Amino acid sequence: MEILANVMLGFQVALQPANLFFCFMGVLIGTLVGVLPGLGPVAAMSLLLPTTFHLSPVSAIIMLSGIYYGAMYGGSTTSILVNIPGEAASVITCLDGYQMARKGRAGAALGIAAFGSFIAGTLSIVGLMLLAPLLAEVALKFGPPEYFSLMLLGLVIVTFLAGSSMPKALLMAAFGLFLGLIGMDIMTATPRFTFGMYFLMDGVGLVPVVMGLFGVSEVLLNVESKLERQIFVTKIKGLLPNRKDWRDSAWPIIRGSVIGFFLGILPGGGAVISSFVSYGVEKKLSRHPEKFGSGVIEGVAGPESANNAAAGGAFIPLLTLGIPANAVMAMLLGALTIYGMQPGPMLIKQHPDLFWGVVTSMYIGNIMLLVLNLPLIGIWVKILKIPYEVLFPLILLFCLIGVFSLNNNVGEIGLMLFFGGVGYFLKKFNYEAAPLVLAMVLGPMMENALRQSLIMANGSAAIFFTRPISLGVALLVLALLILPMLPWVKKKREVIAEIIE
Amino acid sequence: MKNNDQRSSLFWLVIGLAIALYSRKYGLGTFSTPGPGFLPFVSGAAMALLALVVFFQQFPKSQGETLKSLWAHTKWPTVLMVMGSLVLYAVFLRLLGFLLDTFVLTAFLLRVMEPLSWKKVLAGATGATLGSYAIFELWLEAQLPAGFLGF
Repeated sequence: MEILANVMLGFQVALQPANLFFCFMGVLIGTLVGVLPGLGPVAAMSLLLPTTFHLSPVSAIIMLSGIYYGAMYGGSTTSILVNIPGEAASVITCLDGYQMARKGRAGAALGIAAFGSFIAGTLSIVGLMLLAPLLAEVALKFGPPEYFSLMLLGLVIVTFLAGSSMPKALLMAAFGLFLGLIGMDIMTATPRFTFGMYFLMDGVGLVPVVMGLFGVSEVLLNVESKLERQIFVTKIKGLLPNRKDWRDSAWPIIRGSVIGFFLGILPGGGAVISSFVSYGVEKKLSRHPEKFGSGVIEGVAGPESANNAAAGGAFIPLLTLGIPANAVMAMLLGALTIYGMQPGPMLIKQHPDLFWGVVTSMYIGNIMLLVLNLPLIGIWVKILKIPYEVLFPLILLFCLIGVFSLNNNVGEIGLMLFFGGVGYFLKKFNYEAAPLVLAMVLGPMMENALRQSLIMANGSAAIFFTRPISLGVALLVLALLILPMLPWVKKKREVIAEIIE
Repeated sequence: MKNNDQRSSLFWLVIGLAIALYSRKYGLGTFSTPGPGFLPFVSGAAMALLALVVFFQQFPKSQGETLKSLWAHTKWPTVLMVMGSLVLYAVFLRLLGFLLDTFVLTAFLLRVMEPLSWKKVLAGATGATLGSYAIFELWLEAQLPAGFLGF
């Protein structure tokens, strides 16, 4: 049993005291940012990225991953107690979770969210263990044309799944692609669009852009609106769901896990979308769909499981193909490259300690989250009560120092502030930042793949359509671009967009 | 111009065209051997094209929200003050040094939204400055700049 040996290796890595510590730090920070509205995992990871340069790559990735799935846990707490989702993926949890809290069942809601997340997280890790090595084997056969088509497909899926307007999302992707190409061209050593700014030679830094788009802009929107937060003051008692709760939640948790895992693999907001799909499925299958929205436990168990499973599934494209599925994975890709590792089909073979160590650490992290979350909910509630006037200067301060300490360069602070402004206007005018970030990361990779493909084919673009896998992917891209124009698909998408609103 | 999607799409149209035109300077190459300007040109052209799609998609709708409506009921002066203070922070970081610059910024930010008492502001700013100094300079050895005063 090769897989058993690999899992053993993973545990050996993950159980080293240093890695245990960083796993703990990751899930703790992740839960914290999940609890705090207006600070998501992407911003938190980019904030902490510079601090990981002193660590070993394995410890760093363990911690950064912990932030991601930890945030999925934390997000549910605010949805249930405050009716404000700490995380986009927990939006739907507000519907029934908050109603449960109002009925005095906050404990059971928080409990089932934690247990459901744990079970789903575990299941998706098993899926990841089984699927990723297989997929990596297949991916070894991919050449530059396949990679190019796949990356294009990734971008198109992201925009297809994006909230309301696909042209606007595609526009953002095109802009992101351009941003990714700024800097020195590898083939010809031509500096592109640098305008004499030396720090742009290496390309536009991912961290300043992400911190600007997801950190600074979020703060700007919050200070102008000043969210009114009313915490539901209630004694939280009995975090353990009772037997009836378990009976009602068992299938939603399992269905949510499966939905989340497979949607998580797809590029785009896997965690967000899977939580909506799970809610929809449970409502459809329920014998009492009319009760959804009035505080039924299935409405919490399903989506909360789905978003955690999706967090696991999202690792697959990154670890097997080297293609990030969402902005968080783009951050991880950036981190891996900084540590000198090339994510792709060879990653599992070349760095088994990294892959198996990180995957098993996720398992350990899930246990930590369960242990951490149930008794610490009181503390999270207290943190929620910190007024925003006090909180936002600290968030901004951390962004400023974090970006500066990357290269000790004030120019990068300027870059972050610029993108903070850009992000502010994008949100005002209803453009999504996620396709932009993804395209920016993929930009240089796509350019490389394109050039290599054309060299392979002596300059004939037909290579993208003569190789079967590449052709299949290309047809899929075309279908996704045309589909939204068909009337009935358009209608469906509008309905979904309305629900998400 | 009828709504904000149309207004923003015109902005992107200009940006896209500018990128596409400027890319030609770097050499587009041929389709078989793309030059450094090729993909930037394609992305700029795609932006311009998509901006047009967004613009004309909006035509059936006769009216939409105005620019003003986006900032109605908001405290936009606060946004300007916060953004301005951050820019000034970056400009003066090297000159004033990390400690002084950070202290001034946090004190300002703590006052800007809902004025806290000066006592709390001073205590908060001192705490945040020293705390972040301890984390980044002492623990993570980030080499934060010392200013003209030598700290």
